[in-house]
Amino acid sequence: MWLSQLAILPNISLSPAAGSRIPRMTLTAIDWVIIAIYLAGCVGAGIRTRRYVRDLNDFALAGRQVDVNLGVASLAATEIGIVTVMYTGEMGFKSGLAGAAPGVLLCLAMLIVGMTGFVIEPLRDAGVVTIPELFEKRFGTKVRWLAGLVVVLGGVLNMGIFLRLGGEFLMYITGLSPKASFSLSLLGQQWQLGLLEATMTFLLVLILIYTVLGGMVSVLVTDYLQFLVKGLGIVIISVVVFWNINPLSLIEGLDAVQSQTRTAVNMTMTDPFNPFHSLGYGWVIWQSLLALAVMTTWQTIVARALAAKDASVAKRIYRGTAFYFVGRFSLPGLWGAAAFLYFASAAVGGLPEGIGSLAAMPVYLGRILPAGILGIVVVAMLAAEMSTDSGYLLTWATVIYNDLVSPCLKHPMSQRSKLLTVRLLLVAIGIFLLFYGLWYRIPGRAWDYLSVTGNIYLASVFTLLVGALYWKRANSWGALASIVLGAIGPITFLVINAIVEDPARQISPETAGLSAFGMAFAGMFFGSLAGRMAGIGTAVRATEVDR
Amino acid sequence: MRFLLAWFWMCLILASILWYAFLLFYVGIKGGTEIISLGKNLSRRPEGEDGPGTCAP
Repeated sequence: MWLSQLAILPNISLSPAAGSRIPRMTLTAIDWVIIAIYLAGCVGAGIRTRRYVRDLNDFALAGRQVDVNLGVASLAATEIGIVTVMYTGEMGFKSGLAGAAPGVLLCLAMLIVGMTGFVIEPLRDAGVVTIPELFEKRFGTKVRWLAGLVVVLGGVLNMGIFLRLGGEFLMYITGLSPKASFSLSLLGQQWQLGLLEATMTFLLVLILIYTVLGGMVSVLVTDYLQFLVKGLGIVIISVVVFWNINPLSLIEGLDAVQSQTRTAVNMTMTDPFNPFHSLGYGWVIWQSLLALAVMTTWQTIVARALAAKDASVAKRIYRGTAFYFVGRFSLPGLWGAAAFLYFASAAVGGLPEGIGSLAAMPVYLGRILPAGILGIVVVAMLAAEMSTDSGYLLTWATVIYNDLVSPCLKHPMSQRSKLLTVRLLLVAIGIFLLFYGLWYRIPGRAWDYLSVTGNIYLASVFTLLVGALYWKRANSWGALASIVLGAIGPITFLVINAIVEDPARQISPETAGLSAFGMAFAGMFFGSLAGRMAGIGTAVRATEVDR
Repeated sequence: MRFLLAWFWMCLILASILWYAFLLFYVGIKGGTEIISLGKNLSRRPEGEDGPGTCAP
């Protein structure tokens, strides 16, 4: 119905999903105007930047001209997407305020890296475009190519759920079911389209338009706009949540959770304040390692350090963004914890039918946000989705070209061909995401899925980076062993947990994650020793890598 | 201990809200001027000049 009112498409009717208890859309005409202006402004600003792109260096790294505050805005915008809000909200819903523990660990890791320059300083000084490029200098082309492969595999699989979760959030917060569909009569044919899928596709097309044309420059400009809109939305939602349940009532409510069972409403929360109790010691140790690996090797984060004017600016960007990561977990976690208390209350009596822990928070927000605010919040969340997707698409397309395609070429491409190739890769990743996002079902918590898929490369690439930069005995044998062994644990987790349905027999995420780090370290150590003994490992001294 | 942990998280949440609100203005103003400088720097380069670290090969 709402689409027909906008007269965008002819003869469209919206039908709610069968059995859905979410009956109507809560957006008003003013909300739609705000959304339309925002989308047009973002795409327009992004497209205007295409004139600055002359070569791949401009396209991938904005000519390495990024200063501190723009870097902070872009990094913060890229690393908070709707998917972030969804999984951190789920952490709050399941683990209470303790669910914000990864945010504190990420903040500490970022501060340490920002103060010491650990990894990022020599990485920026090396003048590389991607991390695997550095590996070629130390370990040879094969290692670069294999590292590029696991980086892309982990990164694209990780990004695979972004669109689906983003679409679900937008559906729930606007009062629609993700299963809602609409029929479209066009050219004499009747089409039945899923609303979520259509929304995701439309959003992705907009993102692709400006990212394909403007590359990193357009990502920076749109990230800046999205940082402002998203920051405003996050602050507004948090204030409204505290308006709905004051801090004291929240703490008292969560404190009571531990002494009362919520089985009547089929909701559980183990310990809302102590992450060691609710999430386990193994999980926290894994997350600590992961936090350090993320801050030094996650390509979308490192891309900002590489795009910085120099290493000093890169370190300042890290220090300036560090505390943002606490809010990245604690604020949506607050909304999730408040959602738990809301649905656990006697007045509400549990989660609505078909709503799980992941969707509880957006459904809750959809119910408490006042009319007029909702449009701003939806725009804020659109901003979150767009900034993350554009940054990630650009990063993975650049890695594919730079580390998988480029080393295989016998003759150098012209600048025009390079740009065209990366732009086509961007579109190809977008198409893959659309289809992967539609059918893949996440095993367990969303954050665990993201951590484990990221772990496919984080453990090995982190080990390789530390080895390349700080261990003079590291060689190509160790690097290859580290890449292969580091990927085994997370990939086994994904495959086994997709096949085995009994949660008791599934692999825990911390087992997969910690084993990945352990095997990657062991691979690097023993592989390098073996290569040295055999006298065939390729190695360049660490000091030469910096040049 | 439980009480301290509860308020530790609550303080972090409140500090995050304030930090986000502060960055909204601070980075909002500073970042805007840096975008203008970025555009000027990128436009000012002579034709044919590539930046450092141009992708190989």
